[in-house]
Amino acid sequence: MSSAAAGLSNRLRVAVLASDAGVEGRLAALVAQFGHELVEAGASPDACLTDGTAFVALSAPVVALGAAVEDFAGILPPDASPIQIDAALQAVVVGLTVRPAQRPHHGFEPMTEETAVVLTPREIEVLAALGKGLSNKAVARQLGISPHTVKFHVESLFRKLGAGSRAEAVVKGLKQQICEF
Amino acid sequence: MADSVQDLLTNMSNALVERERLARPLVVKISVQGHRVRSGTLWRKDVVIAAEQGFPELGEARVTLAGGSSLVAQVAGRDSGTNVIAFRLAGGPDPAPLPAAEPKAGALVLALGAAEDGASVRLGLIHSVGTAWHSRAGGRIDRRIILDINLGHREEGGPVIDSGGGLLGMSTLGPRRSVLVIPSATVDSVIEPLLSEGRVERGWLGVALQPVLLPEALQTVAGQSHGLIIMGTSKDGPAARASLQVGDILLSVGGESVASPITVAQRLGPDSVGQQIELRLIRAGAPQTLQATVGVRPPK
Repeated sequence: MSSAAAGLSNRLRVAVLASDAGVEGRLAALVAQFGHELVEAGASPDACLTDGTAFVALSAPVVALGAAVEDFAGILPPDASPIQIDAALQAVVVGLTVRPAQRPHHGFEPMTEETAVVLTPREIEVLAALGKGLSNKAVARQLGISPHTVKFHVESLFRKLGAGSRAEAVVKGLKQQICEF
Repeated sequence: MADSVQDLLTNMSNALVERERLARPLVVKISVQGHRVRSGTLWRKDVVIAAEQGFPELGEARVTLAGGSSLVAQVAGRDSGTNVIAFRLAGGPDPAPLPAAEPKAGALVLALGAAEDGASVRLGLIHSVGTAWHSRAGGRIDRRIILDINLGHREEGGPVIDSGGGLLGMSTLGPRRSVLVIPSATVDSVIEPLLSEGRVERGWLGVALQPVLLPEALQTVAGQSHGLIIMGTSKDGPAARASLQVGDILLSVGGESVASPITVAQRLGPDSVGQQIELRLIRAGAPQTLQATVGVRPPK
């Protein structure tokens, strides 16, 4: 079997660099906790972990916490969790670039002037119930209407939202703008 | 010899370089520890504005001026409604103000931003110009100016100037990487409250609203086909105190019928704070009228 089949739980040789001894100690403890071997920066480590304040020329890929230097293979926020740090170290060693998933940046948005789809109050209630994963029968019980009526509303929701499934209807319905005033 | 090489392109290029030279003193680089560098605009002596959406919560930042000197700037205030954050400097230069510019669709514009050293420049067209609009966060923007230009995150917040060297406003990234301009008039209208109060007060009811199609039976009662259904109320907010409930369908605010959220936003401008406002709604199939006192929209 190739080594790739062994998965990602490899023991790595990691160098830890920080300008502050306290931070360095904390990062070193983290690295050890995940079973990696701590080595000096000069001892050809597989990867380096830094708080972003200590910079040396390194041939090994770097995971930096809170650094704004784009050249690093791994960039994590300063408050990254231990699991994120370990995952980033594993990833950069196999040649991947790691960036935190950011809150999707929507840009500066206008308030929608014309909502494409306008639902009726009942449809909104049915959609909310579908979002909880309820069956037509359960929705009917909850809203005190007949299952036939629920089916009618669900079909109407599918048509209005252009959805092919209940899950799609819920997702598309959620995108309907709720504005807070 | 020099005369003979003059041609249209060279003249245009020289003119662009000249515009950039005149506007460059307004471009600043804003650095926040642990975050990417952003652009800002020296709006007047000791006041820098930038794109609010690009900044984390912060108290101060380092501002590098066009001349290369850098100062610590305090956040004076921020307004997500108009995407303006204002920083206060001490001892900065007094920039020569650029003339105001009138946006015209099709006109050439330059969008400036901060580069590692000095300014970066983008050239493009004004794609379209429209009337006033409201942002999702409730701010009123005086003109809808959309640019046909690409802009990086680092460049957002810099000045946008027209071919005459006049200042149109501050660049802003819109949905799907579109590029907008927050007009100078809008920046000017929020800058005083930002400097003195730290924020821009807007009216607030404490409700989450969604447009709704009224069932036919209710359309007759309501006298309109659409309304805004209340999806939630803020505890102890103005709406909750006026006893509005989830499921009520709002028909009009202050006598104006509200079929879209925009009409509510228009009714809740800065002047509305503290006003008594009449809310007409449908509850359990019957029309009702309630009075609410407009509160102050809390920061996001």
